[in-house]
Amino acid sequence: MSIDATSSPLDTVLGVDQELVVRHRGWVGAVWHSRNGRLGMIIVGVILVAGIFGLAGLTPYAPDAQYPNAALKGLSWAHLMGTDQYGRDVFSNALQGLGVSLEIAFLSVLIAGVIGTLGGIVAGFLGKWTSAVIMRFTDMLFAIPTVLFALAIVTALGPSILDSSIAIGVGWVPIFVRVVRSPVLALRESDFVRAGRVLGYSRLRLLFRHILPNVTGVIAVQTSLALAWAILAEASLSFLGLGPPPPTASLGEMVADSSSLASVAWWTLAGPSLVIVLAVIGFNFLGDGLRDASDPRTRTRS
Amino acid sequence: MSVYLAVVRRILSMIVTLIGVSIIIFIVLRLLPGNAVQASLGVSEGLLTHAQIAALDKYYGVGQPAVQQYFSWLHATLTGNLGVSLVSRSAVSTLIGTALPVTLELAFFAMLIGVLIGVGFGMWSGLHPGRWQDDLGQGVSVVGLAIPTFILGTLLVVFMASKFHYFPSSLPFVGIATNPWLNFQQIIFPALVLSLGIGAAILRTTRAAVLEVENLNFARTALGKGVSRRAFIWRHLFLNSLTAVLTMSGIQFGYLLGGTVIIEQIFILPGMGRLLITSITNRDFPVVQSVTLIFAAGFVIVNMLVDLCYALIDPRTRKR
Repeated sequence: MSIDATSSPLDTVLGVDQELVVRHRGWVGAVWHSRNGRLGMIIVGVILVAGIFGLAGLTPYAPDAQYPNAALKGLSWAHLMGTDQYGRDVFSNALQGLGVSLEIAFLSVLIAGVIGTLGGIVAGFLGKWTSAVIMRFTDMLFAIPTVLFALAIVTALGPSILDSSIAIGVGWVPIFVRVVRSPVLALRESDFVRAGRVLGYSRLRLLFRHILPNVTGVIAVQTSLALAWAILAEASLSFLGLGPPPPTASLGEMVADSSSLASVAWWTLAGPSLVIVLAVIGFNFLGDGLRDASDPRTRTRS
Repeated sequence: MSVYLAVVRRILSMIVTLIGVSIIIFIVLRLLPGNAVQASLGVSEGLLTHAQIAALDKYYGVGQPAVQQYFSWLHATLTGNLGVSLVSRSAVSTLIGTALPVTLELAFFAMLIGVLIGVGFGMWSGLHPGRWQDDLGQGVSVVGLAIPTFILGTLLVVFMASKFHYFPSSLPFVGIATNPWLNFQQIIFPALVLSLGIGAAILRTTRAAVLEVENLNFARTALGKGVSRRAFIWRHLFLNSLTAVLTMSGIQFGYLLGGTVIIEQIFILPGMGRLLITSITNRDFPVVQSVTLIFAAGFVIVNMLVDLCYALIDPRTRKR
C-alpha cells in the first residue's frame, strides 16, 4: 500500500477506521478521500455547472440558431464542438441537452427515491404481511425491464419532461425498495432500536429519528447510481425519438441525427456522446466514492 | 422430493409474478390518463365508420368496468388471440411470429458472446490480480459499462459505412433458414455491440468471484495437495464462481431485452424492438401491449430458469 499525499499519517498507521474518517472529515471529505470519489466529484461538478448554464440559456450561441455560412465546421475556439449541417453550434446544443437531461434525471430519481425509500422502510419495519405484499409488488415491477417500462409509460403519458421523468423514475423504484429494506431489517433488531421501543417511542419516531438517519449512506449511493442510469435512460428514450419534443435540444436525439452525418463530420457524434459518457461515468464514480465512504469493507485503497 | 417441491413452488411464484406483470401493463396502458385505446382510436377517427368504432370499443371493452376489461384481455391473450394491429390490420400474433425469431437470434448471440467475453476476461483478470492482464480486463469493463449501447451502435454503423461502404439498410434482413451466411453477417455486428455491456458486467462479477474463491480454505488445500493448475482453474475456481456468473447473466438478460429495442432500430433489424418502437410512434396499442408482455414474460422465465439451474450447479442447494 502506497502512502499518498491526501491520507494523513494516522490513517496509514491505524489502517483507517472508516467511521472515524467520516466523523472526522464529514461526508464530502470522506468521499474526496477515495480516488473514485474524488474523480466523480470533479466530473459531476463540471457536469452540473455546464447543465445549469445550458438550462439558464447561457450558451455561446442560441442552440436552435442556424448559421448556413458556418455549416459543418470542425472544432475551433469559436465552435468548441464544431457545427452541424445547419450551422448550429454543437456545444451550445449539447449544453442545453445536458440541462434538460439533468432536469429529467433529478426529477425521476426524486420520484424513485421518495417512493422507493418509503416502500423499503415500510417493508423492512412493519409486519410480515405488509412486507410480503410490498416485496411481491416490487418483484413484479422488477420483472419488467426498465427501459421497456419507460417506453410503455411514455406511450401512455406522452413525451413531456414530467412524463419522461415519471416513466424513468418508476422503473427504478424496486431497486430503491430492495436496497433500503435490508439494512432496515437489520436495524429493527438492533439494540438501540429495541431500547427505543422499550422507552415507548412511537413507530414514526423510531422510523424517522433512529432508522432513517442510519440508511442515508445507502440511499446516497443508490441516488448517485440512479442518476447515472436515469441520464442514460433519458438519452436512450430521446435517441428513439421519444424524448421531449423538438425545439428543446436533447443529447440522445443529437446522437441519432448525427448517424448520417458523422462520416463527414465526426464531431456531430463525438460532442453529444462525450457529454453523455462523462455524465454517466461521473455519477458512477461518485456512487463508488460514496459507497467507499459509507462502507469500509468495499473501500478501494488508493 | 424436496427438490420437486421447490421447483413447483418456484413455477407457481413465477405465474403469480406474470399475472402481476400483466396487471401492471394493463394499468399503465389502459387506465392512465390519456387512455391509450381512445388515443389510438383517435388517430384513425376520420377513417372509421361508427359501426367499426363500436366494434373496436366492444373488442377492447371500452365502457366496461376495468376488472372486466382486464379479464377479457387475459382470456383473449391466453387463448392466443392477441388482437389486431390498428395500423397494418394484420393479427398481432402474425407480426410477433415474424419478429420474435429475429430478436431471439440476436439475444442468443449477444448473450453467448457476452458470457464468453465476461467469463474469459474475468477469469484471466482474477487469476492475475494487479498485473497487466487485470488492467486490460478492467479497461474492457469500464469501456463496456460506460459507453451506452446506442452510442457504440451508431459509432459502428458510421465506421462500417465510411470504411467498408456497408450500410445496414442496403439489404433486407434474411432469415437464418434462407441464407445462413448473409444472416450471420447481418446479426453479428449488432450482437457484438449488445454483448459488450453484458460482457463487462459479467467480467466484474467473475473477477470478484474468482478472487473470493481463490482465498477460501478448500482452494488453498487443493493447491497444497498438488492439484494441477488447469484442474484447479476449471474444477475449483470456475465451477465455484458459476453461481455468481449465472445470477449476473440473468439480471443482464433484462438489460439485453431493453438493448435489443435500441440496437434493432440502429441496424434496422425487423425484430420485436423495432416492432415496439414503430407501434409506439403509431400509437398502435394492441401491438405495444403484447410485445411488452412478451418481453416481460421472457425476462421472468429466464430468471426462473436461472434459479432452477442453481440446483443443477450447486449440490448444496439440492440438500434442502
